[in-house]
Amino acid sequence: MAITRLPDVFPAHLRRVIWATIALQSVLLVVLGILLWGAGVGWLQMVVYFLLPVAVLQIFAFIIIGKYALEPLDFLSRTVTQISDHPHSTTPPNLNGTRHERTGFKLMVDTIYQRSSQSQASTPAVDETDAALQATVLNTLPGGVIALNQERKVIYANKLAPVMTNSKGEHVILLDFPPNGSLEAWLNMVESSEVHAMKKWSGVQTAAPGASDRRVFDIIASYEKNATGGADTIIMLFDQTQHYSVAEESLDFMALAAHELRGPITVIRGYLDILRPELEPSLSDDQRVLFDRLDVSSSRLSGYIGNILNAAKFDRRHLKLHLREERLTDIYQLVADDLALRASTQNRLIAVAFPDNLPTVAADRNSLSEVIGNFVDNAIKYSREGGQINVTAAVDGNNVRFSVQDYGVGMPGSVVSGLFGKFYRSHRSKHTVSGTGLGLYISKAIIESHGGQVGVTSTEGEGSTFSFSVPTYASVKDKLLASDAENEGIIETSSGWIKNHSMYRG
Amino acid sequence: MPAIKTILIIEDDRFIGEMYQRSLRQAGYEVDWAVTGRDGARAAISKPYDLILLDIMLPETQGDVVLDVLRGDVDKIPSSRVIVLTNFDQDDEARKTLQQKVDGYLIKADITPRKLIDIISQMATVH
Repeated sequence: MAITRLPDVFPAHLRRVIWATIALQSVLLVVLGILLWGAGVGWLQMVVYFLLPVAVLQIFAFIIIGKYALEPLDFLSRTVTQISDHPHSTTPPNLNGTRHERTGFKLMVDTIYQRSSQSQASTPAVDETDAALQATVLNTLPGGVIALNQERKVIYANKLAPVMTNSKGEHVILLDFPPNGSLEAWLNMVESSEVHAMKKWSGVQTAAPGASDRRVFDIIASYEKNATGGADTIIMLFDQTQHYSVAEESLDFMALAAHELRGPITVIRGYLDILRPELEPSLSDDQRVLFDRLDVSSSRLSGYIGNILNAAKFDRRHLKLHLREERLTDIYQLVADDLALRASTQNRLIAVAFPDNLPTVAADRNSLSEVIGNFVDNAIKYSREGGQINVTAAVDGNNVRFSVQDYGVGMPGSVVSGLFGKFYRSHRSKHTVSGTGLGLYISKAIIESHGGQVGVTSTEGEGSTFSFSVPTYASVKDKLLASDAENEGIIETSSGWIKNHSMYRG
Repeated sequence: MPAIKTILIIEDDRFIGEMYQRSLRQAGYEVDWAVTGRDGARAAISKPYDLILLDIMLPETQGDVVLDVLRGDVDKIPSSRVIVLTNFDQDDEARKTLQQKVDGYLIKADITPRKLIDIISQMATVH
């Protein structure tokens, strides 16, 4: 059968070569055997002195010749696959060693890439312009364009691109990428493993909200190894300041309102805290349940306020985490009683099972306890009466993964994809389940600021599992020790800090 | 530092002031409560309190001004410890300034009276 996919060509050829080699070798050995037998050589002598050495020599010869003949073919095949439009999972050939420069294979592969990008670059849909007009078109585009060379220096930026020249005469891109998804991090990744790649970012700002000439862009960057003219990276920016300012203004308003809510919530929580023990001896069981509900609701309200204020801080890049060595079990203890009470007042059961000997993690205990609170609170809200919620943790490479599993309503895939977005409320739960739509947004932001990741799996009607992973302390210790000396002696409490205090150390 | 026995609350909100006064007295502390920044500063200088709980958003004389008066160039309350109790978040710069002058910074909405008493009793054993 004819081969129709480019990525299959080389593997098929390799198989043919191997089979042909085996067949040829077998025929040679049989012929040699017949000749020796005719000459009267005994079987044992024939095998030991002739056939076995010849077979071994042949195998070595084929391996060496095969390697030299097949390796360039493999490079060529992978290079051609890379520049083709065929879908594939083939990696580009790695030709970084000096050997490949000496043999000229690198030159061969680079030439193919170059010709390919030239042919792509030189075939616009319509082109009846000269260079001057092209420059005008670029400059009057309703969006920014920036080109970077191999050294990641800005070699072109049009009028709308947020690029500034600093005092040293260097061109600097004024974009505040999210902490763990910067342009640089992406380029580091693709330069080592891709020939061409593309990435999108949404809502990247030039400065924190409040700055007078602040703009917010949606961005597409494309990378082309050894591109024509040296512009390996092209960045296109679409000014979406207006679009994002609506969401920002609502968050600003909410943050303002949340600050105001803190006063009354202080009084409500404080008086509950005082009243409960004073009245305890005379309370009936029914009344205790009512007090529990008051406690749960006021602490939940407090959590919502925390989410709103944290989200507003995060958007302004003011959310500062203070990472230090922590045990996940201790962090869970900060919120365990509150969550257990929330669960029991709503007839849910939380089953906590942390394995012994979990390694310590690098965490900001306040923020991480808020994430845990958000995950478990969601599981309570979206599970069924009497449902169980499993809270577990496990080692996952250099990370510790924390998971919250419920057997509740679950979600279809279409809902899962937008779940961690700002103000996201599923259309189905919008009117039936309370919340700000910020809990998962800020949780994701907090976890990613830890250098970790959030994840969710869900089956509609069966339940969901939300998880996050954060780096073990051992894996990031050196980096932390270098950067965190200034916070020595300050112990963060669940809401603030106290100097030289042993509390909450766990 | 001696164990904490006497506490001064500087807090303009009557509900919140009464709340701390009542719970701290029940926990066995000797508590005075000043409603304005000026009264608070005066009280703090006139009597060596073991601990001062200071609100920041106060009418007329704000908490940071009180702090300047008490712990500006000269430390007029060397035997007192100060915890700022507020509902306003601090930025990093304000935090650095505060860390020079006070022993703690707590968000009122998240620190219930019982938690506050825990923290104070811990401070007493650590120092």
